[in-house]
Amino acid sequence: MKKESIIDCERNSLEKLSKYQLPNSFKKIGFGLFWIGLPFLLANKLLGFASGLTLFIKYEILIGLLIVSISKEKVEDELITKLRMQSYAFAFISGVLFSLVLPVIDFLFDFLFARSTAIFNSMSDWSILWMLLSVQVFYFELLKRLHK
Amino acid sequence: MKNRIKIERTILDLTQEDLANKLGVSRQTINSIEKNRYVPSTVLALKLSNLFKKTVNDIFELDDEEK
Repeated sequence: MKKESIIDCERNSLEKLSKYQLPNSFKKIGFGLFWIGLPFLLANKLLGFASGLTLFIKYEILIGLLIVSISKEKVEDELITKLRMQSYAFAFISGVLFSLVLPVIDFLFDFLFARSTAIFNSMSDWSILWMLLSVQVFYFELLKRLHK
Repeated sequence: MKNRIKIERTILDLTQEDLANKLGVSRQTINSIEKNRYVPSTVLALKLSNLFKKTVNDIFELDDEEK
């Protein structure tokens, strides 16, 4: 096998992998998982009735958002692809900025009001993933509405 | 970039939905192109050119500041 054909084969399989998307019907499943998990998480946060379930619900929400994020639209054309790429770029940059800035703000508030117990805590993995996925999904839906 | 898609579409008596179906894109894409909010790919521009039986230059035109 020639070197060029190996490179072509590698490129094609990488492109196919990076362009892989779930069918449009999965979008409803993803939103379903998200909307089932969110009230449970909020209720759990406020009432604290089932602490063992928290991790499961958190993962369920992330999986739901991931399914929404990688599901096709009804008509997946070049405009949608462009909007999707814009939303991923926006989510990535805002996610990095938030994960850098929020712990600093949190620490400054702690330092102002409870100087002796102020500790610098970085954001948890779940918070960063939640931020990335929710910003991407929200921004993508917003961009689609603006192009209607 | 300016374009004559709306005019050409009206000449052929096509709605945005009809044109979108013929080109295999969504109605939103046609609407965005007509309102100059989205610049189509070369492939889509050539498909429009074939459909309207005009050259790409007849359909799309650069603004003065883009020239």
